[in-house]
Amino acid sequence: MLLEVDVAKKIGNFSFQAAFDLAGKKWGIFGPSGSGKSTLMHILAGLLTPDRGRITLDGVCLFDSKKKINLPPQQRRVGVVFQHAHLFPHMNVRRNLLYGWQRTPRAERQISPEAIIAALNLEHLLERGVDRLSGGERQRLALGRTVLSCPRLILMDEPLTGLDQELKFQIIPYLTKVLAQFDIPFLFISHSLEEIRLMTDEVLLFGQGRLEQRLTAEELARRDLVAGGRGYANLLHLSSPRPHGDLWSYRWGAAELILVEPGGKGDNLFELGAKDVTLFKRHPEATSARNLLPCRVSDLFGEGNRMGVDLLVKGSHLVSQIVPESVRELDLKKGSEVVAVIKASAFRRLY
Amino acid sequence: MAGRAAPKKMSHFARRAAGLLLSVLLLFLLLAPSATAGEVRLSVAASMTEVSKELISAFGKENPGTAVLPNFASSGALAKQIAQGAPADLYISANQRWMAYLIEKKGIVPQTVQVFAYNSLVFVGRGAKPLNSLKDIVSLSLLAIGSPKSVPAGQYAAQALRAVGVYEQLARDHKLVMAKDVRQALIYAERGEVDGAFVYRTDAMLARQAAVLLTVPAELHDRIAYPLGLTQSGARNRAAQAFFTFLQGPVAAEILAAYGFEPAARPVPEA
Amino acid sequence: MMLTLAPQDIEAIVLSLKVATASTLLSLPAGLGVAYVLAFTRFPGRALLEGLVNLPLVLPPVVVGYLLLLLFGQFGALGRLLSFWDLRIIFTLKGAVIASSVVGFPLLVRAIRIGMEGIDEHYLQAARTLGARWWDSIYTIILPLSGRAIVAGMTLMFARSLGEFGATIILAGNIPGVTQTIPLAIYEYTNTPGGDRMALSLCLVSIGLSLIVLLISEASVRSFRKR
Repeated sequence: MLLEVDVAKKIGNFSFQAAFDLAGKKWGIFGPSGSGKSTLMHILAGLLTPDRGRITLDGVCLFDSKKKINLPPQQRRVGVVFQHAHLFPHMNVRRNLLYGWQRTPRAERQISPEAIIAALNLEHLLERGVDRLSGGERQRLALGRTVLSCPRLILMDEPLTGLDQELKFQIIPYLTKVLAQFDIPFLFISHSLEEIRLMTDEVLLFGQGRLEQRLTAEELARRDLVAGGRGYANLLHLSSPRPHGDLWSYRWGAAELILVEPGGKGDNLFELGAKDVTLFKRHPEATSARNLLPCRVSDLFGEGNRMGVDLLVKGSHLVSQIVPESVRELDLKKGSEVVAVIKASAFRRLY
Repeated sequence: MAGRAAPKKMSHFARRAAGLLLSVLLLFLLLAPSATAGEVRLSVAASMTEVSKELISAFGKENPGTAVLPNFASSGALAKQIAQGAPADLYISANQRWMAYLIEKKGIVPQTVQVFAYNSLVFVGRGAKPLNSLKDIVSLSLLAIGSPKSVPAGQYAAQALRAVGVYEQLARDHKLVMAKDVRQALIYAERGEVDGAFVYRTDAMLARQAAVLLTVPAELHDRIAYPLGLTQSGARNRAAQAFFTFLQGPVAAEILAAYGFEPAARPVPEA
Repeated sequence: MMLTLAPQDIEAIVLSLKVATASTLLSLPAGLGVAYVLAFTRFPGRALLEGLVNLPLVLPPVVVGYLLLLLFGQFGALGRLLSFWDLRIIFTLKGAVIASSVVGFPLLVRAIRIGMEGIDEHYLQAARTLGARWWDSIYTIILPLSGRAIVAGMTLMFARSLGEFGATIILAGNIPGVTQTIPLAIYEYTNTPGGDRMALSLCLVSIGLSLIVLLISEASVRSFRKR
């Protein structure tokens, strides 16, 4: 997909302006409240008319103030998953689901309802009224409804904001699976770094109505490490847990990790703070930590008194946060061999 | 201490409420219509609206201290009002029936009842072609008649129409527009909203647009008589009695004749 | 308690129901349209439309009736036009329906409009992004979600029509079997000495009809909630 945007809009005291071209499938829109994310979403969807500018999607002109083109939302084929789902209260699950699909021209119906229903586990809910759905079921239905309208692009406007952690990580797998399975490009809007990292590859960073920066999700996360805040969280996909004494052993890429927590059969996502990764110059003889991973330094970044060390462990990346003094003491450079030491209890399971 | 405070508060409120009620009552009493000496309330059939005003004015010249307040409506409506207690000293009906009704309800002093004028019934309309006979009425599409339930003019007209056998047919064909009094029937005819209306000759004389298309033969209905009577309160009202006497006198007779009525009093002196 | 009803009274009851039903059903399309326009569109002169629609609500019914009479009478603008096609409004059932319609229209529009304005606009946004054009969203989103308000408006208008007197008697006159609705019949009886029992009977019928209308309305509103 190719999205070309160059728009400006003034609403009261708030002025918004952005110009960018996006190619690719998984984009994030990140920024604090009031930075213009929602404004951008409404403009792209056709729910808000910019004061001037151009929007082109896959070569089709959606808006051009000079040529006086302004396609209404129903003609843009841009789907929206709203923060509060906004499921039609007078329709049951099935009718909500098929609302967009019935309004898609036959020739463009690339996605079949049966596939979506299966992918989102909605089969047993089809005849239910939407007022009797749980929070997770509502968001799954909202996603299914939007996907079934076979859009060229999906805008997800903070769909996970306000949900509790457990619910979030219940829904995220569905989101990633469906969007990957049906190959639909999307813009994921959020002010949560965690969600952005899990859902997107590249990110547009907004602040005060302006596009500040384009970077990858990973770079965004690393910026956070430097800025202080909560620090960098390593997100590790682990699988195949096997009992290891009274602990659990997981496969992490080509490496193995020992954890306290048991996991599930499929893909597990664990969080490990960069601050919890201690570096040793040599293999420590005896330590209480259960994970001793030989690795190589692939990158060093940071400023001030916070440094991030990007380590390569049998092909997988791990970031450790240390102070500049330690960098000097351990004489760390690109290519240095070190040992990363992590306690079994330092990992937190997300899903 | 609490016990003492509570009653004191309530009585203050009660006092204020009583005061308000009293002032409202007082206002009501002051504004309420009341027959004072020198005031006469007259309920008179609608067909006598104009002539009544002149009669009142003539009476007023001879009796400057007296005010006569007229109330015009259909005779039936007026009888109902008086029976329900509306204030009236004199009642003039356009037929005997409503007077008899009031006598039965003890609203009228029977000995005072006198017929003091007569009238005749005509059919008026804006149409160009006059009608030959009453039966020809069926050829029209819509006609107005005072509601026979309460308007004497309508009762006389219905009586006449029944006498020639066309009333049922007209009712079946829904050609009759019910007017609330004879004046409303006249207005309908004046405006041309109906082909014609049954009104009194005296009304036809006031009409501007509508002309007499037919005079209803007098033998087809009861004689149109205007009985006049004093109510219970009127009998006690000296000014009312004076007006009552005036209405049966020669001055009144002349005025009645001028408007087209046939006075029952002494015949009008030859001009 | 014996209900004394003459055949003319039965006629009046049937006529009242006919007029109320006709005026409500005939006004519904326009009522929906005007309510939609007032709820969802902005245009210069909108305040004027709003004022015009609400006018019969604040005018005395006899004034409304008289204005209608001027309009539809022999020499009125519409009266003359209609007489071309041999159509007459005054003193006809059509006149009674028009009088009820004009007087009840503001009630209908007001209730429907409030229902429409109460619809969360996000539903409409969602429908748009899913490909629904404006008439599509009216039919699939706005109408179903304002169903309760529509029923409430129709009920109000129907009940108002059952009780309509002032405009009716001026525009349509008092013609038994054609325009004499229940209120007109009762009025005639109140002017008739001895007519009290009939008047009371008709009053009871009128109360009964109004109660039935209320019950039906409540039932249908409740059925909306269940859905």
